[in-house]
Amino acid sequence: MLGDAAKAQEVFEAIMHDAALRAAQGELPKDRLWMFNDARWRCLEVSEAGLQAEEVEMEEHELAATAPAQIAQLEPQQLAVWISGAPDPQRTALALFYLDEFSHEELLMLTELKTPELAKCIGNARQEFQAWLNATVPPQEPAEYQ
Amino acid sequence: MSVKPPQLNRRQRQLVQCAPFNEQRIDDRSMRAAVFRVKKTEAFHHQLAFDQAVANLVQAIPIPHQVTEWLSKGTFVAPKRRTWRQIMFNPVVVAIAIAVGVIAGIFVFKLMERLNEFPGEPTAKRLLSVASSTKTVILDPIKTDAGALSDLFFMKHRLAHYDVPPEFADFKTLGCRVFDDEEAQRIAQIWVVEKKMQFFLFPADRDPKSGAVQHFDGWRYVDQDRWTGVVQEKNGVCFMAAVRGSEKDLAAYVKDAK
Repeated sequence: MLGDAAKAQEVFEAIMHDAALRAAQGELPKDRLWMFNDARWRCLEVSEAGLQAEEVEMEEHELAATAPAQIAQLEPQQLAVWISGAPDPQRTALALFYLDEFSHEELLMLTELKTPELAKCIGNARQEFQAWLNATVPPQEPAEYQ
Repeated sequence: MSVKPPQLNRRQRQLVQCAPFNEQRIDDRSMRAAVFRVKKTEAFHHQLAFDQAVANLVQAIPIPHQVTEWLSKGTFVAPKRRTWRQIMFNPVVVAIAIAVGVIAGIFVFKLMERLNEFPGEPTAKRLLSVASSTKTVILDPIKTDAGALSDLFFMKHRLAHYDVPPEFADFKTLGCRVFDDEEAQRIAQIWVVEKKMQFFLFPADRDPKSGAVQHFDGWRYVDQDRWTGVVQEKNGVCFMAAVRGSEKDLAAYVKDAK
C-alpha cells in the first residue's frame, strides 16, 4: 500500500497500539476485518501526506504467457512500489487481492466496491502491469534453432 | 489450451475478472460457476498464472522482524461470526431443535397424562372394556331409578356405600348385576336407558402399605376403545358412568369434571 517498509511499520505499530487500547477498554469493533480497514485508511492518510504519484494514462497490454517468467525477474520492492503508485481504490483492491487472504465478499467489504468496480480495478491493473512488465523486463525471445 | 471461450454474460465476465486465484477463497456460488465455465480457456489460464506469479512476489516482500515478532500470520482476521439466521438454519441445529421439540412434546404429553391420572384409573379402563362387550342379556332386568339400587347392593350383596351419585341417581335402569373382576374386586354394573349408559361401582384403590383408601377429588375422565367414562370416588367406592363416545357426551352431566 505504501511502498515503504518504514512507513508501513509505523502504520502497523499505530494500529497495534490502537487495538491494545481498544481491547483494554473492551471496545474492539464488531467488524472482524476492522484491522485491515483501519490499515487501509491509515495507509491512504500517510500516502497523501507524502509525494503523490503523478496521474498518467497507463498503457494496457493483453496478458501474455510469458508474464510469470517476467514477474519472476522482479524484486518484491518493485511490485510494492508499482502497487503503491496506483490510485485508490485500485491500490487497495490490488494489495488485498494479492494478499490471498480474503474471499470475494470480504474484498468487496474492505474495498467498499461493487463487483463490476472491483473487476474493472483488477482487470485494468493486470493489463497495465503487463504493459509495465513488457517495458521493464521485456519477454525473452525464444532461442532460434540453427 | 485451444478451448473455445464460452459465451459469458457481463456479470459472469466480471466475476471471472476478479475471481480469487486461490480456489479455496471462492465462496460465491455464481463466481464458482463462472470460473468453472472458463477454467480450460487460454485467457483464464494466463490470468491465473499471472495472478499466482504476482502473489508469489507479494509473499516474497520482506516483513520487518519487529512486525513478525508482534503477531503471527492469521491472527489479524477474526473468525467469521455466524449470524442468527445461519445458526438457526444449520442442519445440526434444526435436527437438535426437532429432537428437543419431540422430547418436549412427549414430556408434556406424559405430564398431562400424569396430571389426569387418579387412583383406580387402571380398573376404570378395564371396566370400559367390559362395558364395550356387555350385552343386556347378562344383566338382571330391573326397572327403577339408579339411585334406588344402593339398597339392593347393600341388602343382597353386602356392598356398603355402592351409591349412585345425585347427578345420575334419577336415571331409569334397564338392568344390573354384581360380579367379581379379575382382581377379585366386587363390581356393580348398572345399565340405564339414557344414552345406553352404563354405571360401574367398584372399590377405590388402596395404599399397598397402609391399606388406606386413596382418595381423589371431583370427577375424572378416562377413555378406552372409543368409550369414555367419568369417575368419582366417595367413601372408598368409585362410581363410573360410561358411554360410547367422547367427553362431550358426558360433559352435560358433570360440569366440573377434569
